[in-house]
Amino acid sequence: MLFNSIGYIVFLPLVVILYYWLPFRFRWILLLVSSYFFYILWRVEFVLVLMTATLVSYYAAVQMGKLPNKKQRMNYLVLSIVVNLGMLVFFKYFGFFSNLINSIAGFTGKKNFIPLYSILIPIGISFYTFQTIGYAVDVYRGVLKPEKHLGTYALFVSFFPLVLAGPIERGRRLIPQFHVKHDFSPELFTSGLRLILWGMFKKVVIADRLSLFIQPVFSNIGYFHGVEIGITLVMKMMQVYADFSGYTDIAIGSARLMGFNLSPNFNRPFSATSIADFWSRWHISLTSWLRDYVYFSLPSKHHGKTVMWRLNLNLIILFVLVGFWHGPNWNFIIFGLLHGTFMVLARVFHPFLLNFNKVTGLSRVPRLLNSLNIAVTFILVCSTVFFFGSHSVHDSFLMIRNLADFSKTDKAILLPLLKNYDFLLGVALVLFMLYFEYLIKVKSFAVKFLSKPIALRYSAYLFMLFFLLVFGLFASQQFFYFQF
Amino acid sequence: MVTNKQFFKRSLVFILLAVAINTLLNFGYNRGMFYFRQCRVQDEQFRNYPDTLKYLMLGNSHNRIDPALLGNGFSYIMPKEVYTQTYYKLKYILEKTNKKPEYIFLSIDPVNFSPRVEKEMAFDGYWRKFVNYFELLRERNDPGYFRNWLDGYFFSYAGNYRYMLMSVVFRKTDLGLIKNGYIPARNYRNFSKEPDRESLGFKIATVYLSSYGGISTLEDTRSYQKILTLCRQHKIHLILLRMPFTDEYLKYARRMINLDQLDREIVALTRKYCDDFIVFDFRNDFKGKPELFFNADHINPDGASIVSNKIKEELSKIKDFKEVTGSTFRSESGSAACPKSR
Repeated sequence: MLFNSIGYIVFLPLVVILYYWLPFRFRWILLLVSSYFFYILWRVEFVLVLMTATLVSYYAAVQMGKLPNKKQRMNYLVLSIVVNLGMLVFFKYFGFFSNLINSIAGFTGKKNFIPLYSILIPIGISFYTFQTIGYAVDVYRGVLKPEKHLGTYALFVSFFPLVLAGPIERGRRLIPQFHVKHDFSPELFTSGLRLILWGMFKKVVIADRLSLFIQPVFSNIGYFHGVEIGITLVMKMMQVYADFSGYTDIAIGSARLMGFNLSPNFNRPFSATSIADFWSRWHISLTSWLRDYVYFSLPSKHHGKTVMWRLNLNLIILFVLVGFWHGPNWNFIIFGLLHGTFMVLARVFHPFLLNFNKVTGLSRVPRLLNSLNIAVTFILVCSTVFFFGSHSVHDSFLMIRNLADFSKTDKAILLPLLKNYDFLLGVALVLFMLYFEYLIKVKSFAVKFLSKPIALRYSAYLFMLFFLLVFGLFASQQFFYFQF
Repeated sequence: MVTNKQFFKRSLVFILLAVAINTLLNFGYNRGMFYFRQCRVQDEQFRNYPDTLKYLMLGNSHNRIDPALLGNGFSYIMPKEVYTQTYYKLKYILEKTNKKPEYIFLSIDPVNFSPRVEKEMAFDGYWRKFVNYFELLRERNDPGYFRNWLDGYFFSYAGNYRYMLMSVVFRKTDLGLIKNGYIPARNYRNFSKEPDRESLGFKIATVYLSSYGGISTLEDTRSYQKILTLCRQHKIHLILLRMPFTDEYLKYARRMINLDQLDREIVALTRKYCDDFIVFDFRNDFKGKPELFFNADHINPDGASIVSNKIKEELSKIKDFKEVTGSTFRSESGSAACPKSR
């Protein structure tokens, strides 16, 4: 069931009404049943994978909870990680590794060393696997007591607002919320509705509209050159943001209707002043997960001393993992590698940059410096979209080559289409989205808005709702991050 | 702090307001949308047309055959019409009216077999009176048809801001020009005067054909089969049309799909379900003649008149339809149509 489908518009109110109607002790049952129902609609077989992930990590955590020291708990941690990560690798990366091994075997004359199978990837597996592994590690580290109630734990893994594409929640943040009775709160409820409305707006009005122009370019890269590619890269970045942050807003809003507070996933990423800053604002639940459970676990010392090259190598590893998490494709690995390299370069050249800013006097004009940093970061991020958006490495390099080719501007295909109303509307809406989110996050717009007269607020909501209905595209397009 | 009681009261007011605005928008759109107004005129003319109707044109806006030139014909086409909708319309005509056409004209252009078109069953506000959405839902196991049903009855304006604008721009259009259901081909633009012909050809070809994966993968093919079956059951001769396209459109369409193979597949499929059809192939007739087009994939009144006359000429040569069934009539160098392969 898609968030932007009629099914969800019927499903969500039903669950919310029943949730508040039922006595507290039965609510977990309702949420668990509805979460599995929500998930099962994608494909019944996928539930088996979800259940296995749940049962194994639950069992391992309960066993860890009985053991006093870390050494004894290690076996169960390994069990949980091996099973969960094993399923993720099998379903998501089997084809990639088979191809890789077959290519290597091909050099020795062996063909089809590993038979290739077409394996369907259970939706959401990348998200709930990280959630279960994070939970197991927390129990292993002793920062979280294992959840004894299987139903509550199963709900933590399968909770319908987040099971398909996150946010990747931590056990210590979400599980306690299932034990607390949430009374109906009009403020929380309306704030959830506002988020859902805004998320829907970003998805069906902005992201889907932009994809009308972006998709043909990525499917026919050879035809486009110069400025056309540049515009496409920027629009692709905006489309992915509107799509994924739109999804996240609907997820957080849906949970908020029932009193649950999910982690934020975005914080105005295009106002980032460095690549490191960008990743602290983009898909926050993933990057913070990788930071806490992978980056901090990587060895940073050489002969007992913390050394810079180790830290830099760890950064590269971390970002290659970020890339690889997105999909079993060399494209994503290069995407991660590029981000990691940018981070390392920024770290290495940091003292030089500080000096440069002093010498040129930029440090005396912090606003200008800030704007420059934002612009450079944005360009760097967009430059990685070559690899993030296209279907293969070949396509990515073809795009890079075509970007530098300005000789065919007179034969441009996309440029005349940009005069199209839909495109202009898309651009205007992107600017509106960025400005509106700036108002909300920086200027506390929501607080000021809530103090306005009710008639004005209702008019604003109705305007937004009907703007969405009139200008939205309702072809039920999937969310971009569902593929990951 | 708002109490729960206050909140529910306010919510009720909000919902009522939203329902009222929605009803107004839906009603206004259904009344004023340009295509719907055209269709109401068509419906009215069809009701009043004699039951002895001989030629019936169905399908989307590509099918610009002027029934007046053929005599005793009616054009019952609708922009963006897909085969599923055509099937239900034909079924309605055959079952609920006393009209039984002898010949049906239907276009079999690549766009008719585009996965994009199939997904976009548009204008449900009009089609709801013909289409059985729940039957489709059951048959194809696709809950999306429930959305179509909802759109048709409650949200026909949703996502259609372009048609709203269009309806404002064309509010003074003289619908009296519609004769025998025939909506004269659009003439306020000429493709030969477009500065970005290449770009427009690319756009149309990409939008509709880039995700094409063969006709067997399409649900709409099933509706095409059903149309053929209906024609066979009611002993209707089927005249299939490949309408002319601009060079720019064909250039990109050919890069995206194998047009010849698609044509062969369509004919093979048609043979399987219907034994009483001919194909008129005008696809390349207007090569190098952008002045006969309105846009990349639609002929203008001049183009429509040439095609209609060619059809009239060819049909007059056919003595017994049974003798030429399965034939493809193709023009020689864009002049007069003549039988090429039988």
